Amino acid sequence: MTDLLITQEPVAGDAPATGARQVWRRLTARKSAVAAAAVLGLLVLLALAAPLLAALEGQDPNTYHDTLVDSARGGVPLGDFGGISAEHWLGVEPGTGRDMFVRLLYGARVSLLVALGATVVQVLIGLAVGLTAALGNRFVDSALSHLTDVMVAMPLLVFAIALMAVVPADFPRPLLLVFAIGLLAWGPMARLVRGQTLSLKKLDYVSAARLTGGSSWRVARRELLPALAAPVITYAAILLPSNIVIEASMSFLGVGVKPPTPSWGQMLSTATTWFRADPTYVLLPALLLFVTTLAFTVLADGVRVALDPREASRLRVGRGGRESRKSRPGGTA
Amino acid sequence: MTTYFLRRALGAVAVVLVLSAVVYVTFYVAPGDPARLACGPRCNPEQIRQVREQLALDDPLLVQYWHFLQGVFTGQDYSAGTAVLHCDAPCFGLSYQNNQQVTDMLVERLPATASLAVGAMVVWLAVGIGTGLLSALRRGGATERVLTWLTLAGTATPVFISGLVLLMVFCAYLEWLPFPSYVPLTEDPEQWAWNMLLPWVALGLLESAKYARLTRSSTLETLAEDHIRTFRAYGVPERSLVARHALRGALAPVIALTAADFGSIFGGAVLTEMMFGLPGIGQLLVRSTQTIDLPVVVAVVVITGAAVVIANIVADVLYAVADRRVALR
Amino acid sequence: MRHMSVISRRVAAAAVSVVLIGGAAACGPEGNDDAAGDGGAQGSAKKGGTLTVLNRQPQKQFDPARLYTSGGGNIPSLVYRTLTTRNREDGAEGTKVVPDLATDTGTPSDDAKSWTYKLKDGLKYEDGSPITSADVKYGVERSFAAELSGSAPYLRDWLIGGDTYQGPYKEKKGLDSIETPDARTIVFKLKKSEGDFPYFATSTQFAPVPKAKDTGVKYAEHPVSSGPYRVVKNANDGEQMVLERNTHWSEETDKERHAYPDRIEVKSGLSSAVINQRLSSGQGADAAAVTTDTNLGPAELAQVTGDKKLAGRVGTGHFGYTNYLAFNPKAKHFDDPKVREAISYAINRTSVVNAAGGSSLAEPATTFLPNQKSFGFTPYDHFPAGKTGNAAKAKELLKEAGHEDGLEITLTHSTAQDFETSPEIATAVQAALKEAGIKVKLEGLEINDYDEKTHSLDKQPDLFLAHWGADWPSGGPFLAPIFDGRQIVKEGAGNYNASRLDDSKVNDEIDEINKVTDHDAAAKRWGALDRKIGEQSLTVPLFHPVYKRLYGKSVKNVVISDWTGVLDVSQVAVK
Repeated sequence: MTDLLITQEPVAGDAPATGARQVWRRLTARKSAVAAAAVLGLLVLLALAAPLLAALEGQDPNTYHDTLVDSARGGVPLGDFGGISAEHWLGVEPGTGRDMFVRLLYGARVSLLVALGATVVQVLIGLAVGLTAALGNRFVDSALSHLTDVMVAMPLLVFAIALMAVVPADFPRPLLLVFAIGLLAWGPMARLVRGQTLSLKKLDYVSAARLTGGSSWRVARRELLPALAAPVITYAAILLPSNIVIEASMSFLGVGVKPPTPSWGQMLSTATTWFRADPTYVLLPALLLFVTTLAFTVLADGVRVALDPREASRLRVGRGGRESRKSRPGGTA
Repeated sequence: MTTYFLRRALGAVAVVLVLSAVVYVTFYVAPGDPARLACGPRCNPEQIRQVREQLALDDPLLVQYWHFLQGVFTGQDYSAGTAVLHCDAPCFGLSYQNNQQVTDMLVERLPATASLAVGAMVVWLAVGIGTGLLSALRRGGATERVLTWLTLAGTATPVFISGLVLLMVFCAYLEWLPFPSYVPLTEDPEQWAWNMLLPWVALGLLESAKYARLTRSSTLETLAEDHIRTFRAYGVPERSLVARHALRGALAPVIALTAADFGSIFGGAVLTEMMFGLPGIGQLLVRSTQTIDLPVVVAVVVITGAAVVIANIVADVLYAVADRRVALR
Repeated sequence: MRHMSVISRRVAAAAVSVVLIGGAAACGPEGNDDAAGDGGAQGSAKKGGTLTVLNRQPQKQFDPARLYTSGGGNIPSLVYRTLTTRNREDGAEGTKVVPDLATDTGTPSDDAKSWTYKLKDGLKYEDGSPITSADVKYGVERSFAAELSGSAPYLRDWLIGGDTYQGPYKEKKGLDSIETPDARTIVFKLKKSEGDFPYFATSTQFAPVPKAKDTGVKYAEHPVSSGPYRVVKNANDGEQMVLERNTHWSEETDKERHAYPDRIEVKSGLSSAVINQRLSSGQGADAAAVTTDTNLGPAELAQVTGDKKLAGRVGTGHFGYTNYLAFNPKAKHFDDPKVREAISYAINRTSVVNAAGGSSLAEPATTFLPNQKSFGFTPYDHFPAGKTGNAAKAKELLKEAGHEDGLEITLTHSTAQDFETSPEIATAVQAALKEAGIKVKLEGLEINDYDEKTHSLDKQPDLFLAHWGADWPSGGPFLAPIFDGRQIVKEGAGNYNASRLDDSKVNDEIDEINKVTDHDAAAKRWGALDRKIGEQSLTVPLFHPVYKRLYGKSVKNVVISDWTGVLDVSQVAVK
């Protein structure tokens, strides 16, 4: 999560110190945002503390437990709920009998890293390309827009498969996934930024800033970035979980992280067929993925509202509109 | 206007050309010998050499690419063993794997993929915009919460899980629907729709959260704009304010995103097609990627790319129509 | 030695399914248990109805020249009849070869260097025209054309002049080593003795192709049927196929195929989870459905075994197949037999089997030959690792080899999800060797990369997960490509002798056994040879896969032979 905030640095920098403090105050005032941040913080903490927690449980992610699975029945874990026991807090993996608790923790490391990393890459490239296109001259815009079109038009999974084959086998896989997803899938973000910027350019205060002789870059930094923060963060919050899903899909097609390294995506993809025989195996990573998605979404909402001073008034508008509809036409704005 | 479209069309061609070149280079560099894969499991070196010669794989990269372009624009002749056959332009060559004309293979598969894309788009627009508007206008309602959670769950669940769950629930347990088996629209429209229903929902839900959020934020943004405030101050009814004015501006970014997504489904809905057994382009793409069947891969990427680019042009036009603040340029 | 490309391997892995052998095949008679045999529905088989085949992989190749051996022994064999064919019986009986177009399985002469076949009377194509021996000869010749590559290598290796012949399109005069003295007789002249020729003559290359109807690469779209069905539709790259009765086929001349259903619809491109789900629900047309390329995965097996009704609809199949660890015995560390033996001792076959899907889907292997009589299976366990590995013995050997401080090695595997050369198996090996103090670094390669590297002499990894399947149920095609020194391929990526064994004693024995035309006598000698080679620990056999296959609830007359391990679509009835 911290990474996500860092990408929004220009916004905070734009406003004076009190602004940053204001943002913080507005953010912490939203209970849902605080709760979401707490959940994410906990997840990150758990992921970081994976080795410690593993030691606490007395298990490691790669040890096979042949005696804990029913070999004749396809290796389904013995016992209820996927073999949950005092030794294995969240049961064991079918077939191998590896400890689920520890694998989920270690899986969180990879999944969060890949999702965050890829999103950061997407946001950075998307902002750079989108802004440059929208603010540049016709030639620059057309070139960059076409480049964006090429990127959007690339079937991600296919190029990812090809990329995985080309890059040397000893290149760290999670990092490769970050780059593969990030570098191949920034197109929509760039389009969003360009579109929004073009809209904003027409707005009075931006036009005014341009007329009063601000350089493009200055205008971008002072006027556009803060206004862009809201849609960009919203979209980033959508990209994040979808990046986890992309990682899962790549695992499903056999080009995800390398075993024995676990990731939620890899676990989900191997668990697909197990959801009747061993529902726990599917539900655990699915639940974690869902909670993460939800938390990111809620937090992103909060951050967006906190960042965008206009948002507050807008919220009042929305509420006012609703009330007015109940009472009588006409607004309270 | 004409020059605008002319310029965009030229741009589209350029984009597609670049894409095809990128594919050629990528697959040229990637490991694996297409001749060996085309030849069969236990070919001896001499046979592989013959196949390589037949497929003209020994030509330099540029020459191969040039032949590809020639085929697209002028067609090409090829040996069927017993006779020389002609493949009319646009000819994407022959599959390395089984010497079928790639153009035919694509044409056979286009209907399934197009059916999926159109239906899923309807689902995600309906669910996404509906949820987004609801949550922008009446935050806190029960319907809104359910829809929001549903769309979130949709995003957080890979289609190979959600698809399987849908199949299990609606086909296996409730038996409300048959297990999807693609029926062409031209053969039996009713069966077509019934069989496509689950794939549409699975893929539509996956995408809808994105749209819900985008709709919500841009609606709020538009509602806060000065002219809307002015209208409201003049006593324009809230309903028509939303329907006539706010929605219009709010939908602009949604349209842009829709175009991009719609186009990329042409090559990207691999997992949905696999899950529901749709004989579409995505399946073809993955299979030919695995066997380094370059003519097929290039053709699919070109078609997908063209779909995306055209969708984008359409989107830009719609964007300009929807949001008058943006001019076509 | 069926060794397949990416796609076809998966087909076969699945294709290969179904048949018995209760538990440890090593002991006890190989009988049918009732898993295969009578199907879900009761009553005698009747003609009529539509059979649906739900598959993962499309029938991408359908030209008889391009199919590998008999193309998995399924759909193609409904359309193409061949000189000989598989005995369509359950289990071990099904490993026998029987006549098809020919009156017998072939008459050898000149030390099995010449094989003569006579065609039956009254054989007709789908258009009513007669099938002649010249058509069979033409069918064989087509498979030499570069445009129609894909067949097994035996024709090129065995027929006189086969190594240089380029097919009838380039060399119109044909191959002199195939003689057709009259319209019913055909004689094959071979370079060396091949007692297994009748087995090989089951391949689709031995299906007749009328020269006048040959349309080259387009032939697969509308092949001229000699079997009980003809192709009505072959669309989407072989994903959707429809077969209907060939009215000119006569049961009189074909004792092997029953052809009960009137119509067969093949729908492929489905995921295995969906196939198994559809078969178990059996709604509508799915009640009369089977699959020829998908077996029950571990998860589905766990679910099916809990359901009595479903469990009655599962066929069990075996196919001659071995998954093993392959060494390069010339490489650092592995040039020391003690290191190879240590690894053999350390292997935990229980966790390997569990990773491959559990004891119902894989049987631990200590021999290279598959555990079936027709291959000449002779039990041995030269480096007994017990059920879960003998780490102590392994450590001892490592110490003797000078690695008392442990050893670090790399194991190469593929990233395919096939439960064969896939990551799960590799990590199971890694975990077991760790116990013996061997640190294993895993190298996972994308499947094409893996295929190419493991089969190129110069790029071959020092230790990798390998697998080998049977082209027909005999020791020859199983052992020779892996251990015959003359089959080492130095150029390109077609080498299967990963251990580079070139031992004149082994080579000579292979030649000697190939002269034997009595299958049982030959099998005994293949078994003895396997046992002998096993002493050198050039490979570590891991497991033989077992295939479990679900079929629809109104499917009758389920026959699954040990030859293919596949549910035989020519036997199935749906009425």
